[in-house]
Amino acid sequence: MSAQIVALLRTHLYDRRRSVWAWGLPLGLMSAFIVAIFPSVETSISKAVKGYPQGLKEAFGIGELTSVEQYLHAEMLSLIVPLALGYLAVRAIASGLTGAAESGRLDVLLSAPVSRARLVAAGFLATAVELAAVLIFTGLLTGIGSLLAGSGLDAGAAVRGFANVWPLALLFAGFGVIAAGFSLRTSVVTGSVAGLLVAMYVIDLIGRLDPSLSGVRYASVFKYYGNAIEDGIEPLAFAGVTLAACTLAAIGAWLFERRDLAA
Amino acid sequence: MPAVIETEALTKRYGQHRGIEGVTFAVQPGEVFGFLGPNGAGKTTTIRTLLDLIHPTSGSARIFGLDSRRDSVMIRARLGNLPGDFGFGRETPGRQAVQLLARLRGIDGIGRAEELARRFRADLDRPLGQLSRGNRQKIGLILATFHRPELLILDEPTSGLDPLMQEEFLALVAEERDRGAAVFLSSHELDEVERVCDRVGIVRGGRLVAVERMEDLLGKARRRFAVELRDPAGLERLRSLPGVADFELAGNRATFSAAGELDAVVRELAGHHVVDLEATHPSLEEVFLGYYDEEAAG
Repeated sequence: MSAQIVALLRTHLYDRRRSVWAWGLPLGLMSAFIVAIFPSVETSISKAVKGYPQGLKEAFGIGELTSVEQYLHAEMLSLIVPLALGYLAVRAIASGLTGAAESGRLDVLLSAPVSRARLVAAGFLATAVELAAVLIFTGLLTGIGSLLAGSGLDAGAAVRGFANVWPLALLFAGFGVIAAGFSLRTSVVTGSVAGLLVAMYVIDLIGRLDPSLSGVRYASVFKYYGNAIEDGIEPLAFAGVTLAACTLAAIGAWLFERRDLAA
Repeated sequence: MPAVIETEALTKRYGQHRGIEGVTFAVQPGEVFGFLGPNGAGKTTTIRTLLDLIHPTSGSARIFGLDSRRDSVMIRARLGNLPGDFGFGRETPGRQAVQLLARLRGIDGIGRAEELARRFRADLDRPLGQLSRGNRQKIGLILATFHRPELLILDEPTSGLDPLMQEEFLALVAEERDRGAAVFLSSHELDEVERVCDRVGIVRGGRLVAVERMEDLLGKARRRFAVELRDPAGLERLRSLPGVADFELAGNRATFSAAGELDAVVRELAGHHVVDLEATHPSLEEVFLGYYDEEAAG
Protein backbone atom coordinates (compact mmCIF):
# COMPACT_ATOMS: atom_id res chain seq x y z
CA MET A 1 0.00 0.00 0.00
CA SER A 2 1.40 3.41 -0.91
CA ALA A 3 2.67 5.76 1.79
CA GLN A 4 0.12 8.34 0.64
CA ILE A 5 -2.81 5.97 1.15
CA VAL A 6 -1.45 4.98 4.57
CA ALA A 7 -1.16 8.67 5.57
CA LEU A 8 -4.69 9.44 4.37
CA LEU A 9 -6.07 6.28 5.96
CA ARG A 10 -4.58 7.23 9.34
CA THR A 11 -6.06 10.70 9.08
CA HIS A 12 -9.51 9.36 8.16
CA LEU A 13 -9.44 6.90 11.05
CA TYR A 14 -8.32 9.59 13.47
CA ASP A 15 -11.10 11.90 12.30
CA ARG A 16 -13.68 9.14 12.63
CA ARG A 17 -12.36 7.69 15.90
CA ARG A 18 -15.46 8.65 17.87
CA SER A 19 -17.81 6.71 15.63
CA VAL A 20 -16.70 3.42 17.21
CA TRP A 21 -18.17 4.66 20.47
CA ALA A 22 -21.00 6.66 18.99
CA TRP A 23 -22.32 3.74 16.94
CA GLY A 24 -20.82 0.68 18.64
CA LEU A 25 -21.91 1.60 22.15
CA PRO A 26 -25.67 1.95 21.56
CA LEU A 27 -25.78 -1.01 19.18
CA GLY A 28 -23.65 -3.11 21.54
CA LEU A 29 -25.67 -2.19 24.62
CA MET A 30 -28.88 -2.95 22.79
CA SER A 31 -27.57 -6.32 21.61
CA ALA A 32 -26.22 -7.05 25.09
CA PHE A 33 -29.65 -6.26 26.53
CA ILE A 34 -31.33 -8.57 24.00
CA VAL A 35 -29.12 -11.55 24.82
CA ALA A 36 -29.21 -10.79 28.55
CA ILE A 37 -33.00 -10.86 28.79
CA PHE A 38 -33.38 -13.93 26.61
CA PRO A 39 -33.33 -16.51 29.48
CA SER A 40 -36.15 -14.70 31.23
CA VAL A 41 -38.34 -14.18 28.14
CA GLU A 42 -37.48 -17.40 26.30
CA THR A 43 -40.68 -19.29 27.08
CA SER A 44 -43.12 -16.48 26.43
CA ILE A 45 -41.34 -15.37 23.24
CA SER A 46 -41.27 -18.90 21.92
CA LYS A 47 -45.01 -19.25 22.49
CA ALA A 48 -45.75 -15.89 20.95
CA VAL A 49 -43.73 -16.63 17.82
CA LYS A 50 -45.57 -19.87 17.30
CA GLY A 51 -48.70 -17.77 16.94
CA TYR A 52 -47.21 -15.48 14.26
CA PRO A 53 -48.41 -16.00 10.66
CA GLN A 54 -45.95 -18.11 8.68
CA GLY A 55 -45.54 -15.43 6.00
CA LEU A 56 -44.62 -12.82 8.57
CA LYS A 57 -42.04 -15.12 10.12
CA GLU A 58 -40.49 -15.79 6.72
CA ALA A 59 -40.54 -12.12 5.84
CA PHE A 60 -38.53 -11.18 8.87
CA GLY A 61 -36.37 -14.28 8.80
CA ILE A 62 -37.80 -15.59 12.05
CA GLY A 63 -37.86 -19.33 12.39
CA GLU A 64 -38.27 -20.61 15.89
CA LEU A 65 -37.04 -18.38 18.69
CA THR A 66 -35.84 -21.19 20.89
CA SER A 67 -32.22 -20.10 21.16
CA VAL A 68 -30.45 -16.91 22.09
CA GLU A 69 -28.76 -16.87 18.67
CA GLN A 70 -32.14 -16.95 16.91
CA TYR A 71 -33.38 -14.21 19.20
CA LEU A 72 -30.30 -12.03 18.52
CA HIS A 73 -30.76 -12.47 14.79
CA ALA A 74 -34.47 -11.63 14.91
CA GLU A 75 -34.09 -8.59 17.14
CA MET A 76 -30.83 -7.10 15.92
CA LEU A 77 -29.09 -8.73 12.99
CA SER A 78 -32.04 -9.03 10.64
CA LEU A 79 -32.86 -5.33 10.57
CA ILE A 80 -31.37 -2.87 13.05
CA VAL A 81 -27.65 -3.63 12.72
CA PRO A 82 -27.54 -3.90 8.90
CA LEU A 83 -29.57 -0.71 8.43
CA ALA A 84 -27.56 1.18 11.04
CA LEU A 85 -24.21 0.00 9.66
CA GLY A 86 -25.30 0.67 6.07
CA TYR A 87 -26.13 4.23 7.04
CA LEU A 88 -22.88 4.57 8.99
CA ALA A 89 -20.97 3.45 5.89
CA VAL A 90 -22.53 6.22 3.81
CA ARG A 91 -21.86 8.79 6.50
CA ALA A 92 -18.24 7.68 6.76
CA ILE A 93 -17.51 7.77 3.04
CA ALA A 94 -19.35 11.08 2.67
CA SER A 95 -17.29 12.68 5.42
CA GLY A 96 -14.10 11.74 3.58
CA LEU A 97 -15.23 13.05 0.19
CA THR A 98 -18.15 15.47 0.16
CA GLY A 99 -17.53 16.56 3.76
CA ALA A 100 -13.91 17.28 2.83
CA ALA A 101 -15.07 19.25 -0.20
CA GLU A 102 -17.46 21.31 1.92
CA SER A 103 -14.88 22.06 4.61
CA GLY A 104 -12.22 23.05 2.06
CA ARG A 105 -9.93 20.16 3.04
CA LEU A 106 -10.21 18.56 -0.39
CA ASP A 107 -8.73 21.65 -2.07
CA VAL A 108 -5.77 21.55 0.31
CA LEU A 109 -5.20 17.82 -0.10
CA LEU A 110 -5.37 18.16 -3.87
CA SER A 111 -2.66 20.82 -3.73
CA ALA A 112 -0.35 17.92 -2.87
CA PRO A 113 0.78 15.36 -5.45
CA VAL A 114 -1.98 12.88 -4.68
CA SER A 115 -4.51 11.57 -7.17
CA ARG A 116 -8.23 11.72 -6.53
CA ALA A 117 -8.37 7.93 -6.95
CA ARG A 118 -6.03 7.57 -3.97
CA LEU A 119 -8.19 9.89 -1.90
CA VAL A 120 -11.21 7.73 -2.71
CA ALA A 121 -9.30 4.50 -2.04
CA ALA A 122 -8.15 5.77 1.36
CA GLY A 123 -11.68 6.88 2.27
CA PHE A 124 -13.13 3.54 1.24
CA LEU A 125 -10.49 1.56 3.13
CA ALA A 126 -11.02 3.73 6.20
CA THR A 127 -14.76 3.06 6.00
CA ALA A 128 -14.11 -0.69 5.78
CA VAL A 129 -11.91 -0.52 8.89
CA GLU A 130 -14.40 1.69 10.74
CA LEU A 131 -17.28 -0.71 9.99
CA ALA A 132 -15.21 -3.64 11.20
CA ALA A 133 -14.28 -1.78 14.39
CA VAL A 134 -17.91 -0.90 15.15
CA LEU A 135 -19.00 -4.51 14.52
CA ILE A 136 -16.22 -5.89 16.72
CA PHE A 137 -17.11 -3.49 19.51
CA THR A 138 -20.81 -4.29 19.18
CA GLY A 139 -20.04 -8.00 19.19
CA LEU A 140 -17.81 -7.67 22.26
CA LEU A 141 -20.50 -5.88 24.24
CA THR A 142 -23.01 -8.51 23.14
CA GLY A 143 -20.69 -11.28 24.36
CA ILE A 144 -20.21 -9.49 27.68
CA GLY A 145 -23.98 -9.21 28.05
CA SER A 146 -24.36 -12.91 27.45
CA LEU A 147 -21.61 -13.78 29.92
CA LEU A 148 -23.07 -11.57 32.64
CA ALA A 149 -26.58 -12.96 32.17
CA GLY A 150 -25.50 -16.52 31.52
CA SER A 151 -27.40 -16.62 28.23
CA GLY A 152 -25.00 -19.09 26.66
CA LEU A 153 -24.56 -17.22 23.39
CA ASP A 154 -22.38 -19.24 21.02
CA ALA A 155 -19.36 -16.99 20.39
CA GLY A 156 -18.64 -18.47 16.97
CA ALA A 157 -22.22 -17.96 15.84
CA ALA A 158 -22.22 -14.39 17.11
CA VAL A 159 -18.97 -13.62 15.27
CA ARG A 160 -20.45 -15.04 12.07
CA GLY A 161 -23.62 -13.01 12.55
CA PHE A 162 -21.87 -9.69 13.05
CA ALA A 163 -19.19 -10.37 10.43
CA ASN A 164 -21.88 -10.99 7.84
CA VAL A 165 -23.08 -7.40 8.18
CA TRP A 166 -19.72 -6.03 7.04
CA PRO A 167 -19.92 -6.63 3.25
CA LEU A 168 -23.53 -5.49 3.16
CA ALA A 169 -22.68 -2.22 4.86
CA LEU A 170 -19.57 -1.78 2.73
CA LEU A 171 -21.71 -2.05 -0.39
CA PHE A 172 -23.47 1.16 0.63
CA ALA A 173 -20.11 2.84 1.06
CA GLY A 174 -19.54 1.86 -2.58
CA PHE A 175 -22.85 3.44 -3.54
CA GLY A 176 -21.76 6.49 -1.53
CA VAL A 177 -18.63 6.86 -3.68
CA ILE A 178 -20.78 6.61 -6.82
CA ALA A 179 -23.09 9.31 -5.45
CA ALA A 180 -20.09 11.54 -4.67
CA GLY A 181 -19.17 11.20 -8.34
CA PHE A 182 -22.37 13.10 -9.12
CA SER A 183 -22.79 15.44 -6.18
CA LEU A 184 -20.43 17.08 -3.69
CA ARG A 185 -23.22 17.82 -1.23
CA THR A 186 -23.14 15.57 1.81
CA SER A 187 -26.89 15.81 2.30
CA VAL A 188 -27.52 14.63 -1.26
CA VAL A 189 -25.09 11.71 -0.97
CA THR A 190 -26.25 10.48 2.44
CA GLY A 191 -29.92 11.08 1.63
CA SER A 192 -29.88 9.27 -1.71
CA VAL A 193 -27.88 6.27 -0.52
CA ALA A 194 -29.83 5.98 2.75
CA GLY A 195 -32.97 5.97 0.61
CA LEU A 196 -31.49 3.19 -1.51
CA LEU A 197 -30.65 1.22 1.65
CA VAL A 198 -34.22 1.38 2.89
CA ALA A 199 -35.59 0.71 -0.60
CA MET A 200 -33.47 -2.44 -0.91
CA TYR A 201 -34.69 -3.64 2.45
CA VAL A 202 -38.32 -3.03 1.47
CA ILE A 203 -37.86 -4.71 -1.93
CA ASP A 204 -36.44 -7.78 -0.21
CA LEU A 205 -39.31 -7.76 2.28
CA ILE A 206 -41.92 -7.58 -0.49
CA GLY A 207 -40.23 -10.45 -2.28
CA ARG A 208 -40.37 -12.55 0.85
CA LEU A 209 -43.97 -11.68 1.70
CA ASP A 210 -45.30 -12.46 -1.77
CA PRO A 211 -43.70 -15.50 -3.41
CA SER A 212 -45.02 -14.39 -6.80
CA LEU A 213 -42.77 -11.31 -6.46
CA SER A 214 -39.74 -13.19 -5.22
CA GLY A 215 -37.85 -12.21 -8.39
CA VAL A 216 -37.60 -8.61 -7.21
CA ARG A 217 -35.31 -9.75 -4.42
CA TYR A 218 -32.47 -9.99 -6.95
CA ALA A 219 -32.51 -6.20 -7.02
CA SER A 220 -31.69 -6.08 -3.34
CA VAL A 221 -28.44 -6.93 -1.58
CA PHE A 222 -30.51 -8.21 1.36
CA LYS A 223 -31.29 -11.30 -0.72
CA TYR A 224 -27.65 -12.31 -0.28
CA TYR A 225 -27.51 -11.40 3.40
CA GLY A 226 -29.17 -14.48 4.90
CA ASN A 227 -28.96 -15.62 8.51
CA ALA A 228 -25.30 -16.21 9.20
CA ILE A 229 -25.76 -16.65 12.94
CA GLU A 230 -27.71 -19.84 12.30
CA ASP A 231 -26.67 -20.92 8.81
CA GLY A 232 -23.08 -19.67 8.81
CA ILE A 233 -21.56 -17.24 6.37
CA GLU A 234 -22.26 -18.04 2.74
CA PRO A 235 -18.74 -17.57 1.31
CA LEU A 236 -19.90 -16.84 -2.22
CA ALA A 237 -22.38 -14.20 -1.08
CA PHE A 238 -19.82 -12.67 1.32
CA ALA A 239 -17.13 -12.48 -1.35
CA GLY A 240 -19.56 -11.43 -4.07
CA VAL A 241 -21.02 -8.54 -2.10
CA THR A 242 -17.53 -7.43 -1.02
CA LEU A 243 -16.39 -7.53 -4.63
CA ALA A 244 -19.48 -5.59 -5.70
CA ALA A 245 -18.70 -2.95 -3.05
CA CYS A 246 -15.12 -2.62 -4.32
CA THR A 247 -16.33 -2.44 -7.93
CA LEU A 248 -18.78 0.32 -7.06
CA ALA A 249 -16.00 2.21 -5.26
CA ALA A 250 -13.74 1.84 -8.31
CA ILE A 251 -16.47 3.14 -10.63
CA GLY A 252 -17.13 5.96 -8.16
CA ALA A 253 -13.41 6.82 -8.10
CA TRP A 254 -13.45 6.98 -11.90
CA LEU A 255 -16.44 9.34 -11.80
CA PHE A 256 -14.84 11.42 -9.01
CA GLU A 257 -11.63 11.71 -11.02
CA ARG A 258 -13.54 13.19 -13.95
CA ARG A 259 -15.86 15.60 -12.21
CA ASP A 260 -15.30 19.26 -11.47
CA LEU A 261 -14.56 19.94 -7.84
CA ALA A 262 -16.45 23.18 -7.69
CA ALA A 263 -18.52 24.24 -4.75
CA MET B 1 13.75 30.11 -19.95
CA PRO B 2 10.33 28.42 -20.35
CA ALA B 3 7.34 29.96 -18.64
CA VAL B 4 6.24 28.49 -15.31
CA ILE B 5 2.57 28.96 -16.19
CA GLU B 6 1.35 29.29 -19.74
CA THR B 7 -2.32 29.34 -20.66
CA GLU B 8 -3.77 29.41 -24.16
CA ALA B 9 -7.36 30.54 -24.64
CA LEU B 10 -8.32 28.84 -21.39
CA THR B 11 -12.10 28.68 -21.18
CA LYS B 12 -14.49 27.29 -18.62
CA ARG B 13 -18.25 27.49 -18.95
CA TYR B 14 -20.83 26.11 -16.56
CA GLY B 15 -23.71 25.38 -18.88
CA GLN B 16 -25.25 28.77 -19.61
CA HIS B 17 -23.15 30.44 -16.93
CA ARG B 18 -19.88 32.17 -17.62
CA GLY B 19 -16.70 31.02 -15.95
CA ILE B 20 -13.65 32.27 -17.85
CA GLU B 21 -13.32 32.94 -21.55
CA GLY B 22 -10.16 32.73 -23.65
CA VAL B 23 -7.71 33.52 -20.86
CA THR B 24 -4.14 33.64 -22.21
CA PHE B 25 -1.11 34.65 -20.18
CA ALA B 26 2.31 33.44 -19.06
CA VAL B 27 4.16 33.68 -15.77
CA GLN B 28 7.95 33.59 -15.87
CA PRO B 29 10.30 31.99 -13.30
CA GLY B 30 11.09 34.35 -10.44
CA GLU B 31 8.14 36.57 -11.30
CA VAL B 32 5.33 37.73 -9.04
CA PHE B 33 2.24 37.89 -11.22
CA GLY B 34 -0.83 39.63 -9.83
CA PHE B 35 -4.24 38.51 -10.97
CA LEU B 36 -6.61 41.33 -10.25
CA GLY B 37 -10.34 41.54 -10.44
CA PRO B 38 -13.44 42.00 -8.33
CA ASN B 39 -15.31 39.08 -6.82
CA GLY B 40 -16.88 36.90 -9.49
CA ALA B 41 -14.51 38.09 -12.22
CA GLY B 42 -13.07 34.60 -12.77
CA LYS B 43 -9.90 34.64 -10.65
CA THR B 44 -10.72 31.54 -8.60
CA THR B 45 -12.06 29.69 -11.64
CA THR B 46 -8.73 30.30 -13.38
CA ILE B 47 -6.80 29.00 -10.37
CA ARG B 48 -9.01 25.92 -9.97
CA THR B 49 -8.52 25.16 -13.66
CA LEU B 50 -4.74 25.48 -13.32
CA LEU B 51 -4.85 23.06 -10.38
CA ASP B 52 -7.07 20.60 -12.30
CA LEU B 53 -9.79 20.91 -9.68
CA ILE B 54 -12.08 21.87 -12.53
CA HIS B 55 -11.60 20.90 -16.14
CA PRO B 56 -11.47 23.50 -18.93
CA THR B 57 -14.22 23.55 -21.55
CA SER B 58 -11.56 24.46 -24.12
CA GLY B 59 -8.05 25.84 -24.29
CA SER B 60 -5.08 24.59 -22.36
CA ALA B 61 -2.77 25.35 -19.48
CA ARG B 62 0.82 24.23 -19.06
CA ILE B 63 2.70 24.47 -15.79
CA PHE B 64 6.45 23.78 -15.72
CA GLY B 65 5.90 22.79 -19.37
CA LEU B 66 3.53 19.99 -18.29
CA ASP B 67 -0.12 19.61 -19.23
CA SER B 68 -2.29 20.81 -16.34
CA ARG B 69 -4.76 17.94 -16.78
CA ARG B 70 -2.67 14.96 -17.78
CA ASP B 71 0.32 15.74 -15.54
CA SER B 72 -1.56 17.28 -12.65
CA VAL B 73 -0.01 15.09 -9.94
CA MET B 74 3.55 15.83 -11.13
CA ILE B 75 2.77 19.54 -11.28
CA ARG B 76 1.34 19.62 -7.77
CA ALA B 77 4.54 18.05 -6.41
CA ARG B 78 6.28 21.32 -7.31
CA LEU B 79 3.78 23.94 -6.24
CA GLY B 80 2.17 25.33 -3.13
CA ASN B 81 -1.42 26.53 -3.08
CA LEU B 82 -3.45 28.62 -0.71
CA PRO B 83 -7.14 28.25 -1.62
CA GLY B 84 -9.35 31.30 -1.47
CA ASP B 85 -11.54 29.99 1.28
CA PHE B 86 -9.01 27.99 3.28
CA GLY B 87 -10.34 25.26 5.54
CA PHE B 88 -9.19 21.87 6.72
CA GLY B 89 -11.79 20.67 9.21
CA ARG B 90 -12.58 22.17 12.57
CA GLU B 91 -10.93 19.60 14.81
CA THR B 92 -7.60 19.31 13.06
CA PRO B 93 -4.67 21.23 14.57
CA GLY B 94 -2.41 22.98 12.08
CA ARG B 95 0.53 20.73 12.97
CA GLN B 96 -1.45 17.64 12.02
CA ALA B 97 -2.43 19.23 8.71
CA VAL B 98 1.21 20.07 7.98
CA GLN B 99 2.30 16.53 8.92
CA LEU B 100 -0.27 15.04 6.57
CA LEU B 101 0.72 17.33 3.70
CA ALA B 102 4.40 16.53 4.37
CA ARG B 103 3.70 12.79 4.17
CA LEU B 104 1.71 13.25 0.96
CA ARG B 105 4.68 15.17 -0.45
CA GLY B 106 7.14 12.52 0.73
CA ILE B 107 8.89 14.95 3.08
CA ASP B 108 10.41 13.82 6.38
CA GLY B 109 9.38 16.12 9.21
CA ILE B 110 7.49 19.34 8.64
CA GLY B 111 10.13 21.35 6.79
CA ARG B 112 10.25 25.01 7.77
CA ALA B 113 6.70 25.00 9.16
CA GLU B 114 7.91 25.75 12.70
CA GLU B 115 9.98 28.69 11.49
CA LEU B 116 7.03 30.07 9.51
CA ALA B 117 4.71 29.56 12.48
CA ARG B 118 7.06 31.67 14.64
CA ARG B 119 7.30 34.29 11.94
CA PHE B 120 3.52 34.57 11.46
CA ARG B 121 2.79 33.96 15.16
CA ALA B 122 0.63 31.02 14.15
CA ASP B 123 -0.52 28.41 16.64
CA LEU B 124 0.10 24.98 15.12
CA ASP B 125 -1.32 23.10 18.08
CA ARG B 126 -4.84 24.46 18.39
CA PRO B 127 -7.66 22.91 16.36
CA LEU B 128 -8.44 25.09 13.35
CA GLY B 129 -12.04 25.48 14.47
CA GLN B 130 -10.81 27.35 17.55
CA LEU B 131 -8.80 29.86 15.52
CA SER B 132 -9.95 33.21 14.15
CA ARG B 133 -10.18 33.60 10.39
CA GLY B 134 -6.87 35.42 10.24
CA ASN B 135 -5.09 32.79 12.32
CA ARG B 136 -6.53 30.02 10.16
CA GLN B 137 -5.27 31.89 7.12
CA LYS B 138 -1.77 31.83 8.62
CA ILE B 139 -1.96 28.03 8.79
CA GLY B 140 -3.05 28.04 5.15
CA LEU B 141 0.00 30.15 4.24
CA ILE B 142 2.27 27.73 6.11
CA LEU B 143 0.73 24.75 4.30
CA ALA B 144 1.31 26.49 0.97
CA THR B 145 4.92 27.44 1.58
CA PHE B 146 6.52 25.05 4.10
CA HIS B 147 8.03 22.82 1.39
CA ARG B 148 9.68 25.67 -0.58
CA PRO B 149 7.70 25.18 -3.81
CA GLU B 150 8.85 26.37 -7.23
CA LEU B 151 5.46 27.98 -7.83
CA LEU B 152 3.15 29.56 -5.29
CA ILE B 153 -0.50 29.99 -6.17
CA LEU B 154 -2.22 32.25 -3.68
CA ASP B 155 -5.90 33.11 -3.86
CA GLU B 156 -6.72 36.20 -1.80
CA PRO B 157 -3.81 35.42 0.56
CA THR B 158 -4.05 38.33 2.99
CA SER B 159 -7.75 37.93 3.60
CA GLY B 160 -8.28 38.19 7.36
CA LEU B 161 -4.66 39.01 8.18
CA ASP B 162 -3.96 42.04 10.33
CA PRO B 163 -1.77 44.83 8.81
CA LEU B 164 1.37 43.61 10.57
CA MET B 165 0.96 40.11 9.22
CA GLN B 166 0.13 41.49 5.78
CA GLU B 167 3.54 43.18 5.84
CA GLU B 168 5.15 39.91 6.88
CA PHE B 169 3.33 38.12 4.10
CA LEU B 170 4.52 40.61 1.47
CA ALA B 171 8.07 40.17 2.76
CA LEU B 172 7.70 36.40 2.42
CA VAL B 173 6.47 36.74 -1.15
CA ALA B 174 9.50 38.90 -1.97
CA GLU B 175 11.81 36.29 -0.41
CA GLU B 176 10.17 33.52 -2.40
CA ARG B 177 10.73 35.52 -5.59
CA ASP B 178 14.34 36.17 -4.61
CA ARG B 179 15.04 32.47 -4.26
CA GLY B 180 13.64 31.96 -7.77
CA ALA B 181 10.06 30.86 -7.13
CA ALA B 182 7.25 32.19 -9.29
CA VAL B 183 4.20 33.56 -7.51
CA PHE B 184 0.69 33.77 -8.93
CA LEU B 185 -1.24 36.04 -6.62
CA SER B 186 -4.95 36.57 -7.04
CA SER B 187 -6.31 39.53 -5.21
CA HIS B 188 -8.70 42.41 -5.09
CA GLU B 189 -6.43 44.09 -2.53
CA LEU B 190 -4.91 46.47 -5.02
CA ASP B 191 -2.42 47.95 -2.62
CA GLU B 192 -0.66 44.64 -1.92
CA VAL B 193 -0.47 43.83 -5.62
CA GLU B 194 1.02 47.22 -6.37
CA ARG B 195 3.71 46.67 -3.76
CA VAL B 196 4.80 43.17 -4.59
CA CYS B 197 3.92 42.25 -8.18
CA ASP B 198 6.13 42.55 -11.24
CA ARG B 199 3.27 42.22 -13.70
CA VAL B 200 -0.47 42.31 -13.38
CA GLY B 201 -3.30 40.69 -15.28
CA ILE B 202 -6.66 42.42 -14.99
CA VAL B 203 -9.63 40.14 -15.27
CA ARG B 204 -13.16 41.27 -15.79
CA GLY B 205 -16.30 39.32 -16.62
CA GLY B 206 -14.25 36.15 -17.09
CA ARG B 207 -11.92 37.75 -19.63
CA LEU B 208 -8.35 38.91 -19.18
CA VAL B 209 -8.60 42.53 -20.30
CA ALA B 210 -4.96 43.53 -19.81
CA VAL B 211 -1.55 42.21 -18.84
CA GLU B 212 0.92 44.95 -18.01
CA ARG B 213 4.17 45.50 -16.20
CA MET B 214 3.36 47.25 -12.98
CA GLU B 215 5.28 50.41 -13.87
CA ASP B 216 3.67 50.56 -17.32
CA LEU B 217 0.27 50.18 -15.79
CA LEU B 218 0.92 52.97 -13.33
CA GLY B 219 2.47 55.09 -16.11
CA LYS B 220 -0.64 54.76 -18.24
CA ALA B 221 -2.84 55.87 -15.44
CA ARG B 222 -4.11 59.38 -15.02
CA ARG B 223 -2.17 61.36 -12.45
CA ARG B 224 -3.89 64.11 -10.53
CA PHE B 225 -2.36 67.59 -10.21
CA ALA B 226 -3.14 70.59 -8.07
CA VAL B 227 -1.37 73.84 -8.94
CA GLU B 228 -1.48 77.24 -7.25
CA LEU B 229 -0.48 80.27 -9.33
CA ARG B 230 0.13 83.89 -8.48
CA ASP B 231 -1.94 84.88 -11.55
CA PRO B 232 -4.08 82.22 -13.20
CA ALA B 233 -4.95 84.31 -16.26
CA GLY B 234 -4.71 82.22 -19.40
CA LEU B 235 -4.45 78.95 -17.53
CA GLU B 236 -7.71 77.83 -19.19
CA ARG B 237 -5.47 76.84 -22.11
CA LEU B 238 -4.50 73.77 -20.09
CA ARG B 239 -8.01 72.42 -20.62
CA SER B 240 -7.43 71.97 -24.34
CA LEU B 241 -4.06 70.20 -24.06
CA PRO B 242 -3.99 66.53 -25.13
CA GLY B 243 -4.38 64.11 -22.21
CA VAL B 244 -5.68 66.73 -19.78
CA ALA B 245 -9.09 66.21 -18.19
CA ASP B 246 -11.20 67.16 -15.18
CA PHE B 247 -9.85 70.71 -15.27
CA GLU B 248 -11.25 72.94 -12.53
CA LEU B 249 -10.19 76.43 -11.59
CA ALA B 250 -11.11 77.98 -8.22
CA GLY B 251 -9.43 81.28 -7.45
CA ASN B 252 -5.70 80.87 -7.93
CA ARG B 253 -5.85 77.10 -7.59
CA ALA B 254 -6.40 74.69 -10.48
CA THR B 255 -6.84 70.93 -10.37
CA PHE B 256 -6.73 68.55 -13.31
CA SER B 257 -5.69 65.07 -14.29
CA ALA B 258 -3.30 64.13 -17.06
CA ALA B 259 -2.22 60.97 -18.80
CA GLY B 260 0.77 60.23 -21.00
CA GLU B 261 3.69 62.64 -21.49
CA LEU B 262 3.54 65.87 -19.52
CA ASP B 263 5.78 68.06 -21.67
CA ALA B 264 2.95 70.28 -22.94
CA VAL B 265 1.55 70.72 -19.42
CA VAL B 266 4.96 71.72 -18.03
CA ARG B 267 5.53 74.20 -20.89
CA GLU B 268 2.16 75.82 -20.25
CA LEU B 269 2.79 76.09 -16.51
CA ALA B 270 6.25 77.52 -17.18
CA GLY B 271 4.60 80.69 -18.49
CA HIS B 272 3.14 81.34 -15.05
CA HIS B 273 4.47 82.07 -11.60
CA VAL B 274 3.87 78.73 -9.85
CA VAL B 275 3.41 79.05 -6.07
CA ASP B 276 2.75 75.36 -5.38
CA LEU B 277 2.41 72.16 -7.34
CA GLU B 278 1.17 68.77 -6.11
CA ALA B 279 1.23 65.59 -8.19
CA THR B 280 -0.60 62.56 -6.83
CA HIS B 281 0.67 59.14 -7.90
CA PRO B 282 -2.36 57.06 -8.87
CA SER B 283 -3.26 54.12 -6.74
CA LEU B 284 -3.72 50.85 -8.48
CA GLU B 285 -7.36 51.15 -7.59
CA GLU B 286 -7.62 54.21 -9.78
CA VAL B 287 -5.76 52.38 -12.52
CA PHE B 288 -8.06 49.45 -12.12
CA LEU B 289 -11.19 51.57 -12.16
CA GLY B 290 -9.80 53.37 -15.19
CA TYR B 291 -9.67 50.05 -17.03
CA TYR B 292 -13.22 49.31 -16.08
CA ASP B 293 -14.42 52.72 -17.20
CA GLU B 294 -12.59 52.25 -20.49
CA GLU B 295 -14.29 48.89 -20.98
CA ALA B 296 -17.67 50.29 -20.09
CA ALA B 297 -17.18 53.17 -22.51
CA GLY B 298 -15.95 50.80 -25.23
